[in-house]
Amino acid sequence: MDAAFLLAVLQTLLAGVPLTIGLTLLALAGGGLLALVLAGLRASSRVGAALADAYVFVFRGSPLLIQIFMIYYGLPQFGFIRHSVLWPLLREPYVCAALAFMLNDAAYTSEILRGGLRAVPRGAVEAAVVGNMRRRTIMRRIVLPLAVRQALPAYGIEITSMLKSTSLASVVTLMDVTGVARSLVSETYRAIEVFGAAALIYLVLVTATTAAVRALERHLSIRPAERPAPRSAPA
Amino acid sequence: MTAPAIRLRGIHKHFGAAHVLRGIDLDAQTGDVVSIIGSSGSGKSTLLRCIPFLEQADSGEISVGDAGITLGQPGARLTRPDRAAIRAIRSRVGFVFQNFNLWPHLTALGNVMEVPVHVQKRPKAEVRAEAEAMLEKVGLSHRRDAYPAQLSGGQQQRVAIARALAIRPQALLFDEPTSALDPELVGEVLAVIRSLAEEGRTMILVTHEMGFARHVSTKAIFLHGGLVEEAGPPAQVFGDPHSERCRRFVAGLGIAAP
Repeated sequence: MDAAFLLAVLQTLLAGVPLTIGLTLLALAGGGLLALVLAGLRASSRVGAALADAYVFVFRGSPLLIQIFMIYYGLPQFGFIRHSVLWPLLREPYVCAALAFMLNDAAYTSEILRGGLRAVPRGAVEAAVVGNMRRRTIMRRIVLPLAVRQALPAYGIEITSMLKSTSLASVVTLMDVTGVARSLVSETYRAIEVFGAAALIYLVLVTATTAAVRALERHLSIRPAERPAPRSAPA
Repeated sequence: MTAPAIRLRGIHKHFGAAHVLRGIDLDAQTGDVVSIIGSSGSGKSTLLRCIPFLEQADSGEISVGDAGITLGQPGARLTRPDRAAIRAIRSRVGFVFQNFNLWPHLTALGNVMEVPVHVQKRPKAEVRAEAEAMLEKVGLSHRRDAYPAQLSGGQQQRVAIARALAIRPQALLFDEPTSALDPELVGEVLAVIRSLAEEGRTMILVTHEMGFARHVSTKAIFLHGGLVEEAGPPAQVFGDPHSERCRRFVAGLGIAAP
């Protein structure tokens, strides 16, 4: 192993980090909004709930890579898409990958949100109803704060999972961390060092994300320890 | 002379095929403490929950102070004036639940301030001072920053009472307020309720605490099978009821099968 080479590789790979983070944030933002829409749809009617379920079924049940391929290679088959005003956007690999990530993330996030909403105690809502709160106020002041707290640990896992999934963007030519690594390997043929360094970068990003989510969980905790709780393992 | 603080007439309620309230009348004058007793399944909690429309009665009249609603045709949709009347009724009663139902993500003080600030839109500083006074009244001002999960059941219920008081209600409704408590915590909650009764607050109290109900009430009602089986001053209902079922119930004998 050659330390100088590794260092140079790491430096080159860092150029891909902004794209990796950007794709992740876009996926989480778009996916989060769409998940809220799905939650609304689910609450709206039986038909809406069936549609939301079908959406989740399709996007959770099929590989993300296939979803990327279908959007990137599949959409141009349709003439009306090639002739639409969106075509300049939809032929961009970045847009296609981001779209696939959003659609996929929405399916998982809506399920996480559903679990959080189901955990909101009925009595908390009843107390809000007798307090004359309007539906929107109940959502904003009572239901969502409780659902988010409940869903946060699972959502933390979704964030790190999406972060790692963005490496698939490299198959449609994007130069994220993995994309840069692939091109370096084809130049140097030193796969272990290059991909190892790429993995290290993901590891650091995932660890930082996990720590941030943990900190947020502690901050939002509705049961802050009054006395330090006995811990079996160091935090 | 004056209109009753709470007046119910001909309240009917079905759950599916079960006819749980079969035409109930109830009056509470200002300052009255009305106890509702009866075995489980007698409809007493349902009746109380019909007042702020946690359950919607099928028919009957409900009024609290100058707010009132008449429910006519079963299944008829609520009109806009109906919904306004329901909001007016809810703004006039404080409700205390069997399971406290505090908002777990808010502190004790936050729970007490929530509705006055975010529904009644009263100035925060004024609400805060009043909420602190309410917590003081229930003996919990030192726990104002605690979350519900950090409080005992008795403390949670006392916070819930402070929360009900904070909306400045005309009447308080208690739905078995001590039934979910460990026996050693019942006393502190009953003490608070007693002090409210002594202040002359109008209250309706669904309870299994017979001795307490007899002591604090100005009126008692025994429900059986969705009907008022016995009603009158506590001395009568608890001491010398006309109804044989009521006599057996208050004597702790249970109610014989019909």
